[in-house]
Amino acid sequence: MNKIWLIIKREYLTRVRKKTFIISTLLFPLLYLGLIFGMGFIADKSKQNLKVAVIDKSGYFTDENIAYQNSIDDNSTLKLVKDSAENVMANFKAKGFDGYIVIPAINWKDGDDSLFFKSEKSYGNATTAAMESKLNRIWSSIKNDSLRLDTEKQVILTKKLNVTPKNIQDETANANTAEGIGYVAGFLIYFILLIYGSQVMMGVMEEKTNRIAEVIVSSVKPFQMMLGKILGIGLVALTQFLLWIAFVLIVYNVGKAAGGNIASGVVGNIQGMFASVNVPLVLSCFAFYFLAGFFFYASLYGAIGSAVNEDMREAQSLSFPITMLVIISIALMTAAISDPTGPIAVWASIIPFSSPIVMMARIPYGVPGTVPWWQLGLSMALLILGFMFTVWFAGKIYRTGILMYGKKPSWKEMIKWAFRKN
Amino acid sequence: MTLLELKNLKKYFATQKAVDDISLKVEQGQIFGLLGPNGAGKTTLIRMITGIFYPDEGEIIFDGKKFDPIKDVEYIGYMPEERGLYKKMKIGEQTMYLAQLKGLKKADALAKIKQWFIKFEMEGWWNKKVEDLSKGMSQKLQFVTTVLHNPKLIILDEPFSGLDPVNSNLIKDEIYNLAKNGATIIFSTHRMEQVEEICDHIALVNKGSIILDGTVAKVKQDFKENLFSIGADQMPAVNGETPFDIVGTKAEKSVVRIKEGKSSNDVLQYLLQNNAQINSFNEILPSLNDIFIKLVEGTPTARQFQKV
Repeated sequence: MNKIWLIIKREYLTRVRKKTFIISTLLFPLLYLGLIFGMGFIADKSKQNLKVAVIDKSGYFTDENIAYQNSIDDNSTLKLVKDSAENVMANFKAKGFDGYIVIPAINWKDGDDSLFFKSEKSYGNATTAAMESKLNRIWSSIKNDSLRLDTEKQVILTKKLNVTPKNIQDETANANTAEGIGYVAGFLIYFILLIYGSQVMMGVMEEKTNRIAEVIVSSVKPFQMMLGKILGIGLVALTQFLLWIAFVLIVYNVGKAAGGNIASGVVGNIQGMFASVNVPLVLSCFAFYFLAGFFFYASLYGAIGSAVNEDMREAQSLSFPITMLVIISIALMTAAISDPTGPIAVWASIIPFSSPIVMMARIPYGVPGTVPWWQLGLSMALLILGFMFTVWFAGKIYRTGILMYGKKPSWKEMIKWAFRKN
Repeated sequence: MTLLELKNLKKYFATQKAVDDISLKVEQGQIFGLLGPNGAGKTTLIRMITGIFYPDEGEIIFDGKKFDPIKDVEYIGYMPEERGLYKKMKIGEQTMYLAQLKGLKKADALAKIKQWFIKFEMEGWWNKKVEDLSKGMSQKLQFVTTVLHNPKLIILDEPFSGLDPVNSNLIKDEIYNLAKNGATIIFSTHRMEQVEEICDHIALVNKGSIILDGTVAKVKQDFKENLFSIGADQMPAVNGETPFDIVGTKAEKSVVRIKEGKSSNDVLQYLLQNNAQINSFNEILPSLNDIFIKLVEGTPTARQFQKV
C-alpha cells in the first residue's frame, strides 16, 4: 500500500509541477471563452451589409417605410428604385447595388409569395436572412396599414402560444438550462477521458521505452505500478478540475461584488441555473462519473501502452477501438439530450462504456424526474463493475506487456494474455 | 550458509521451456557467475528470483525461508540488462524514489544516497536530469540505485556494458567490497574473461537447464586436457618411450599433452634424464571461454521455438 502511495506521489508531482500543466490549466478556460466569443465575433464580422435595389410592382412599398426600417436596422440597406426594371436589372452593379429584388403585384387571396434575390455573387444564409426579415417587417407594417389596425390590435395579432416542458416530479427543472449543463458536463468528461487516458498510455510507454519498467517491477508488483499511475494521473485531472471550479467561483463572486451591467447578467444566469438544477447532486454525480469513467478507460489505455513499443503509430492503431467507444458515446449523448427519456438515452446511460458521458448529459434534467433512482443506481453499479473488470483485465495485459519487447501484439493476443492462468 | 536455493524450478512459456528443472545453491558472500548463451533462460531464471515471475513448478528458498516475492524484494537488488531511468526526473529525486520503493525510510535513503554519491564523486549531480548524463555516468547511477538499500542478494546482468576501463574497475572494486561485507552477488554475463576474474563459482545454463555448476578452479580442472607448456633448451626428440606428445609450439615454448597413465613428474624426469635445460614448466588450463564454447557449440545459436 505504502508503495502505491509512492508511485501516486511521483506520478502526481512530476505532472503537476510541469509547466505544461500550469499553462494548460490557465489556458483552457481562456481558450474556451475565446472560442465562444471568437465564433460570435467572426460570425458577426463575416456578415455583409447588402445594398439591395427593390423594384416594386405591387405599389405598396414607399420610400418612407423603407427609410424608417433602414434607420432602425443597418444590417442591410434597401432602396426603392423607380427606374425601369430592365434598366436596373442590367446595371445594378454600376449603380452600386449588390443585387435586386422584384416585388410582384400582390394577390391577397393567394398564399405566401416567393421572391428572388438576384445577385452576381453567392451570399450566406446569415447575410440574406437579415435582409429577409427587414423586408418582412416592412411588409407587416404595410399589412397593418391596409387593414387599418391600431397598436392594440397589432399586439393581439402577434400574440403567440409558447409551450415549455415542465416535469411534475421536478417542478424547478428547466429544459434549456439542463441541456446546456448536460452538454458541458458530457463534453468535459469526453475531453478528460481522451486527454488523460492518452496521458496514461504515454506514461506507460515512456516507462517501457526508457527500460525502467523492469527496474521498478523488481520492487513493486506490475499491478501496483499500473494502478499507481492511473490514480496519480486521475488526481492530476481532478486537481485541474478543482482549479477550474475555483476559477469559475472567483469570477462569479468578483462579478457579483462588482455588480456591473454585464456581470450582473451573468450572475443572474448562474443564479437561475442554481435554482433550476440540483447543483450538489449534479456535482457529486459528475465527480463519480468522471473518476469511474476515467478508471474504465485509463486502464485500457494503460494496457495498450504496455503492449506496444516506442512507435506512436502502433499505439494509435491499437487504441483506435477504445477511442471509437468514447466518440460513439458523444454521438449517443447528442441523441440522449434531444430525448432524455427515450430508449437510446436510457440504455446508453446504463451500459458502462457510454454511461459516464450519456448519464451526465441526462442528470441535469432532474433526478428522479427524468432519471429514476433505479437507473442511476444501476448505471453506477454497472460502471463500478465495469471499471473493476477493465482494471483487472488491463493488469493482466500490463504484467506481460511491460516486459515484452518486439512485435506489437494484436488485440486477440492481448486478450489471450489476460485470460491465461497465472 | 546458503542464501539462495532453487529447487527444480520450471517456467514454460507458450512456445518455449524457458527454464526446465533448474536446481542451484548460492552461498552467502559468494560471487556467483550465471552464464549461458543468448536465450538460454537466464533472464527468466533471474526474473523468478527477483519475484517478477512466479515459477510454474519448484521452490525458491531465500535466506532459509520460502521466498516471499512481496517482502523479500527489499533484500534484493537487481540491475537488469534492459535498464534505464526516468529521463526527465532529477537525479536526487529519482534515487530517493527508487530507494523508497525498496522500503527505505526517507531519512535513511537520504543518508545512504549522500554516502554513495560522495564515494562515486557524484555530489554535484543531485539537481541534474538523467538526460544530461553520459551513458557511463547513468550506468554508475544505475549501479548505485541497485545496491543502495544494502541488499543481501545483488543480481547484476551485464553490469559493465558501456563502461570505460576506469569506471569498470570502480564498479568491480565495489562488487568485491560488497561481497566482502557479506552481500551475495549473482553476476550474469557473456564476457568470460570478466567471469574468470571476478567469480568464485559459476553455473552454465543452456536451453533452460544447468549443464555445468561448480567453482571456477574445479571447472577448469574438470575440463583440462593434460596440456603443459615447457620452455626448455635441447628438447629431446619424441619417440615411443616419451611420456608425452608434442602438440605444438607457442611463444618458443613446446605445448605437450601427457600420455594416458603418466604424470607431470614423469615428464620432468624424462626431460632431466635427457639433459634438457628446463626454464619453465606450466600446466595449461582451459579458459572458461574455451569451456563455454565447447559445451555450447553444436547447439543452435538461437533457441528454436518448440511445443510445450
